Amino acid sequence: MFAALAMCLNPVESEATAARGQRRPWSLVARLAVFYTLGTTALLLVTMVVLYGVVVRYNDANDNLFLNDKLRAVRADLAVKKANQGELLAEEVASETSDYFVRVLDRRTGKVLAESLEMGKRLSPSVFPAPSPDGHIPEQGTEYKTPAGKWFLLMSALAEIDRMMPRPVVLQIGQDRSDDKAFADFFRNLLLTVLVGGAGCSAAVAVLVARRALRPLEQMVAAMKRVQASYLQQRLDRDRWPKELDSMAAAFDEMLARLKESFERLSAFSADLAHELRTPIQNLRGEAEVALTRTRTAEEYREVIELSIEEYQGLASMIDNLLFVARAENAETPLNRLTFKIGPEIDTILDFYDAAAREQNIALTRQGDADLYADATLVRRALSNLVSNALQHTSAGGQVRLAVKQANGSVEIQAQDSGCGIGPEHLPRIFNRFYRADAARSSNSGGVGLGLAIVKSIMDLHGGSVTAESKPGEGTMITLRFIRQEPVPQNDQHSRDSKPPA
Amino acid sequence: MRLLIIEDEKKTAAHLKKGLSENGFTVDVAYDGSEGSQLACAGAYALIVLDVMLPRQDGWAILGELRRAGVMTPVLFLTARDRVEDRVKGLEMGADDYLVKPYAFSEFLARVRTILRRGSTAQQEVLRIADLEIDTRRHKATRAGCNLHLTRREFVLLSCLARSAGEVVSRTRIVEEVWDINFDTGTNIVEATMRRLRAKVDDPFEKPLIHNVRGIGYVLESR
Repeated sequence: MFAALAMCLNPVESEATAARGQRRPWSLVARLAVFYTLGTTALLLVTMVVLYGVVVRYNDANDNLFLNDKLRAVRADLAVKKANQGELLAEEVASETSDYFVRVLDRRTGKVLAESLEMGKRLSPSVFPAPSPDGHIPEQGTEYKTPAGKWFLLMSALAEIDRMMPRPVVLQIGQDRSDDKAFADFFRNLLLTVLVGGAGCSAAVAVLVARRALRPLEQMVAAMKRVQASYLQQRLDRDRWPKELDSMAAAFDEMLARLKESFERLSAFSADLAHELRTPIQNLRGEAEVALTRTRTAEEYREVIELSIEEYQGLASMIDNLLFVARAENAETPLNRLTFKIGPEIDTILDFYDAAAREQNIALTRQGDADLYADATLVRRALSNLVSNALQHTSAGGQVRLAVKQANGSVEIQAQDSGCGIGPEHLPRIFNRFYRADAARSSNSGGVGLGLAIVKSIMDLHGGSVTAESKPGEGTMITLRFIRQEPVPQNDQHSRDSKPPA
Repeated sequence: MRLLIIEDEKKTAAHLKKGLSENGFTVDVAYDGSEGSQLACAGAYALIVLDVMLPRQDGWAILGELRRAGVMTPVLFLTARDRVEDRVKGLEMGADDYLVKPYAFSEFLARVRTILRRGSTAQQEVLRIADLEIDTRRHKATRAGCNLHLTRREFVLLSCLARSAGEVVSRTRIVEEVWDINFDTGTNIVEATMRRLRAKVDDPFEKPLIHNVRGIGYVLESR
């Protein structure tokens, strides 16, 4: 069921799954045409059934009424005639052209006293229904099909001849309904023909209309095909499309904009990376080449090797950090979330930097505490980068303060230094990879401009945010904001168990 | 002690062999998986150093083969792949340790020694190096009979060096053992703490015991 649902929602993927033997969803044109045709056909059908019913019923009622009237009239006639009168049914029997037949039976003997012309050949007395014993004239006749294939409506009733000397008889009356039947059949066939024709026409119209209505989709596909990695400025533009497709065009354009930005960032990143690799490689190469230009003492060689080890370490840590940021961007880094007190974690980091801070005569302090549901290792890494960064940019006698604040639904960790500050032109970009506010500082500070990028990655992984405020000359405050989330106990247990030794 | 290195990259194999030999190990090298598993099954090695990415048969397959054949020699994996899943897989398959390239040789040596030592030595309560005495249970360190007034962290740091006395302990390892920080801190922050420790342990005395090995780390020994 989910596969079917997914197919409906994701037609692109469904093409791939169709190849694997799954059913492909209907085309939009087919869907529209089928539903439209079904709708119109149902409407036609209902109309015609009602029409047919009304006409046929009206005919039936008419015939019944006619027979009923006729019976009544004949009975009244008979009542004033004499029992032995020869032309008992003079009027009825005489008329050859009449499409109805009348017969008078003796009630006791069952003998035919009189009947219309030709009646004996068509309708024998036995096919008629028995008359109602209370003398009632029926409202509804009985249908009968003769062996010759003709339809008759039959009625019978009790009657008396000669009111003075009553002789009980049975009156039988039958009407030829073949014409009515033929009309009903013709009418039904006509209606069926109209129905089939109507359904066919509406299907054809539906296909045409649906195709026409979906034409903008094809145009949109054509426009999308023009988009290429090297030509990302192609846009679908709003307003060119019907209302329903407008938001899709807008979403597609936004996606293109994001892709373009990513591509640009990627190429800028490659350029930065190449640049950052040049310096350490140049150092290594230069030192090695100079060392080899003449014979040197063991001590000198040793120094070259020691220097190069430092460069190698720098390169290795750059690779580590880059990989970390890259994986965090793709959300490949698994989070081992736990609920823990942030205070002691900050204290551990401050303790780590304590000796270095004392040498620089910088005061390191922490205020506040809170419960945090996060990956402790990653949070420590972020804190370590913040403190390291703050120490690098703060001069002797300054201070670096970390404060933990709980606001509604979130926990904030602020790192405030009294350092040189960051100019407003640099502020929005300090979280970018390889970005340094002061290019000349890089060699002293040891980092390559990845520290804050890592902090941002860690906050992104946690669904939090990082912001920076700074006043040049007064210091910088960087705020980490964690949105409070409910811990999931089982998950924690699991990730804890599978945590490899570092 | 005899070690086997299975590594297709000749330069890597060469420097590992050189480094291990100079540290008193006898080392055999296999350059591909089949040769490696033959040697491993035949010889009595104390430890196998195994590269994950090998031609034809990868390190994991070799490890599986060895374990099925009943060869329970400890295995140290070397790899350039450091995804968490890879680490977990390696350890689940019965590797004893896992080292991601690029690594410091000192780190490699320390891991080798740790695996070989594992389970054989109980933690000593009192560590002695020359005239330095460290009582790990009472958290007290004395040198030449004088009490060294160390902070808690300085004491842990000194113990960390003392437990591997005579071996170079890398900065990474120090940061990990003393502060439980297992990520790259980027700067040589340990140096400042180490200077404070040396001011108490070495400066008042004639012979220094803590030595800086440039670019690598520190060693505690009497020279």
